[in-house]
Amino acid sequence: MTRADKILIATIFFCALIGFAQIYRHCISPLNEIFPRQATISCEGNILHTIDLHPAGEKRLLNLRGAHGTATVEVDGDQIRMLTASCPNQICVRQGWIERDGSSIVCLPGKFVIQIDGSTVVDAVSH
Amino acid sequence: MMFSPRRLVFLSLFLSMATALHLIEGLFPLPLPLPGVKLGLANIITLLVLYLYDLRSALVVAIARVLLGSLLGGTFFAPGFFLALTGALISTLLMALLLRKTSYFSPIGISIIGALGHNLGQLLMATILLQNVVIIFYLPLILLTTIPTGLTTGYLLYNLLARLKEEGLYAQLTRDGEEHSLRMPEK
Repeated sequence: MTRADKILIATIFFCALIGFAQIYRHCISPLNEIFPRQATISCEGNILHTIDLHPAGEKRLLNLRGAHGTATVEVDGDQIRMLTASCPNQICVRQGWIERDGSSIVCLPGKFVIQIDGSTVVDAVSH
Repeated sequence: MMFSPRRLVFLSLFLSMATALHLIEGLFPLPLPLPGVKLGLANIITLLVLYLYDLRSALVVAIARVLLGSLLGGTFFAPGFFLALTGALISTLLMALLLRKTSYFSPIGISIIGALGHNLGQLLMATILLQNVVIIFYLPLILLTTIPTGLTTGYLLYNLLARLKEEGLYAQLTRDGEEHSLRMPEK
């Protein structure tokens, strides 16, 4: 391998990275703004809130009250987390922010579930 | 298109090897979640012919390999055939350019350029066939895959050339009474 080979490999690698970044900036991230993902917050199967997760959305707090405890949910832009909960182990609070499709926070003692649903634009691509 | 009998024999041998590699590769897709990613083993032969002889010989081997390979593999005149043909043409031209006009690259670098040319040619042809530029989104992914595939074939070719030189076959293969810009591979 000569020096030119290494430079070539590095160049291709950076071109690919720049390509990914451009595609993300111009195509995927605008899609998220037009069609925001949704988060559903439920307690024992009953949906309490459905929230649009706008990337440029404002920070807000939601208070939850269920039969087995209370909790506070914080929404900031396109991410969401359990800020406080009345449960003893605080696993849901320590999980921190979630933002990806399909990810969820579950508070077992309080029976709260926060789930991010996939984007409604594309749910499958076939060839 | 005239070749000396001796070179014609060697080119036929290389063509049969390239066709076999092309077919074998078509039978075993790489276990990757990307459609159409191949190692490009047949490209080794094209580049070897380019090292031993000239652009004309390499083009003949590359085009005939795609024709025979798709005929035997059952993809003749299918979309994949046109993709392979453009890819093989562009990669051969690019590799010849780099091999003859510059002296900075080892077989590995030239192999990577070959893989790049192959993929770019395929994307170009796919864009024309689909009449749609959406496939351009596949470009960064394709660029990334050229690095490992080009490295693999380049490393194989480097060892092949070293072995040919060691056994004294390099001179025998190129001694055919025709003019060619003989270039022994460097480090």
